[in-house]
Amino acid sequence: MHLTKEEEKILDGEYGWAYEISMKILVRLGDLFGATSLIQIKSAHISGVSYKTMGGSIDFLEALARAGGKAKAPSTLNPSSFDPEYLVRKIPREHREGQLRIINLYREMGVEPALTCTPYYIFKPQRGSHLAWSESSAVMYANTVLGAWTNREGGPSALAAALIGKTPNHGMHQAENRQPNIVVKVESNPVNETEFGALGIHVGKFLKEKIPLFTGPSNYTNEDLKQLGAGMATTGMTSMFYYRESPRKRDFEVVSVEARDIENTIENLSTTSEAPDLIFIGCPHCSSKEIQSIAQALEGKKVKTGIELWVCTSQHIKRKAKSHVYIIEKAGGHVLCDTCPIVAWIKNLGIETVMTNSAKAAYYAPTYNEVGVTLAPLSQCIETACFP
Amino acid sequence: MKSIILKGRPIVPGRSKGLALVSTKPISFLGGVNPNSGVIIERGHDLKGKSVKGRVLCFPYGHGSTVGSYVLYALAKKGVGPKAIINQTADPVVVVGAIIANIPMIDQVDIQQIRTDENVEVNCNKGLIKIVKEK
Repeated sequence: MHLTKEEEKILDGEYGWAYEISMKILVRLGDLFGATSLIQIKSAHISGVSYKTMGGSIDFLEALARAGGKAKAPSTLNPSSFDPEYLVRKIPREHREGQLRIINLYREMGVEPALTCTPYYIFKPQRGSHLAWSESSAVMYANTVLGAWTNREGGPSALAAALIGKTPNHGMHQAENRQPNIVVKVESNPVNETEFGALGIHVGKFLKEKIPLFTGPSNYTNEDLKQLGAGMATTGMTSMFYYRESPRKRDFEVVSVEARDIENTIENLSTTSEAPDLIFIGCPHCSSKEIQSIAQALEGKKVKTGIELWVCTSQHIKRKAKSHVYIIEKAGGHVLCDTCPIVAWIKNLGIETVMTNSAKAAYYAPTYNEVGVTLAPLSQCIETACFP
Repeated sequence: MKSIILKGRPIVPGRSKGLALVSTKPISFLGGVNPNSGVIIERGHDLKGKSVKGRVLCFPYGHGSTVGSYVLYALAKKGVGPKAIINQTADPVVVVGAIIANIPMIDQVDIQQIRTDENVEVNCNKGLIKIVKEK
C-alpha cells in the first residue's frame, strides 16, 4: 500500500500508540484486500458497544483511550444493553457500570454515543461520500438507499478509521465494485415490512458477496428497503443492492423468488406458537414514520397486562416523534432509546417468548437471547399486544 | 528427530514456539472462547474444553462477530492467549485481533500437516513454520 509521508509517521508511532495501532490495522487490512491507498472518510459508525457482548473484552478500548486516541472523523456508536429510563432500573449494578464504562471510553475518544443502528436518521450522509461504517444493516442502507460509499467494517476497523479519519480504498469505495452481478426476480410483491425482511433473509443465503438487482417489487417504502437490506446482511456478506434499475446486460444470472419462498422463510424463522412475553418493534431502530404508524395502530387501544410492548429507536427520533411517542406510552407500550432486546439481557427479565415484525431480530433472538420467536407483521403484533 | 518446514504468508511479524493446538473448524472468538481463561467453549467444537493459552493455535479461519478481535486482545493481556496463530485463510476478525494483541500470525498454510501437541516453531517475519516430528 502506498502511504503519504504523514501516514508513514503515524505508522512509525510519532503521534503515539493509539494512532500507530489504528494505522497498523488499516494498512494490514488494506494490504489483505488489495487496497493501494487510504481515503478520507466523512464519518465512522462503530459497533462493539453492548456490555452484554463486549463483557470482559474492553481492555483494548481502555488502552486506546489511555493512549490519548481521539476520533478525527465524526463518529457514532451502535446500541448499548439498556435504555436510560426503563431497563436501566431492572438490571444489576455490575451490568450498568460495565456498560457506562464502555460508553465513557468511546466518549473520551470523541465518539458520539448516538447508541443507534440507524445513525442515518440523525445525520444523513451525502451521496457519493466515503464512510467507514460497521453495523451491516446501516451499511446496506447507506450504500443502497442513500448512495454513500462504505465497506462493511467490523467494530475495530471502524474505530481505527475514526481515529485516523481514513479507510483503505477498496471494495465498495471503488465504482467498478458497485455494479450488480445477479438479478433476483421477485414473483410476487411483498406486502409488508416482515415479508421484505424475510425476502432478505432468503436471498442473503445464496447471494454470498454478489450484488443483486431486484426486479418485481414496485410498491415499497424506504422502511421496507431497510428491512430487506437488514435481512440480506444477516445471512449474507452483501453490502448493497439495486431496486430501481432494470438489468442492462443480458448475460446476468437470474434467480427467481416465489411467494412461497417468503412464506417458508417466515414460517422457519418462527420457533414458537406460544403467546409472547415481549412484542418488539424497532429492528433496525424505528424512523419517525414507523413510530407514527405504530401510534396510529395503537390509538385508543390498551396493551394487555402481562405483555411487554417495546418500540426501539434513537433519542433523536424519540424527541422528534414526541406526540406519537405519547400515544404509544399511553397505550402501555415502552419507547426505548439506545438499545434493543437482542443486545439486552431480556432472559433475566423473565422473557421466554418474543414476537417481532423484524426478520433480522427473529433470526438472532433464539441464539442471542435463548428465547422462542414468532415473526409477524406490525398489524398482527399490535393485535396480539392489545385487548380486543 | 525429523522436522518438516511449511511456508505461508506473514500477517503479523514475530517469532515464537510452542505446542500446536489444531482444529479443523473455524473459531469464533466472541462467544466461542472464554475471554478470562482462554478455554474454548463453543458447543460442538472439536477443541471444546481445550485452552488456547501458550499454544500455537492452528485453525482454518475465524468467523462470527468482529468483537472477536477485542477478545483476542483481552486474552493476550491476561496471559491466556495463544503464542502464535496459523490459519488457512486470514479473515479480518482474526487479523485485527492478532495485530492489536501482537500475536505472530501466518496464513495460507496447509494446517492438516500439523498435529496437536507437536512442537512447532514459527517465524512470522519470513512466513516459515518448522514442525518437529517425534521419532
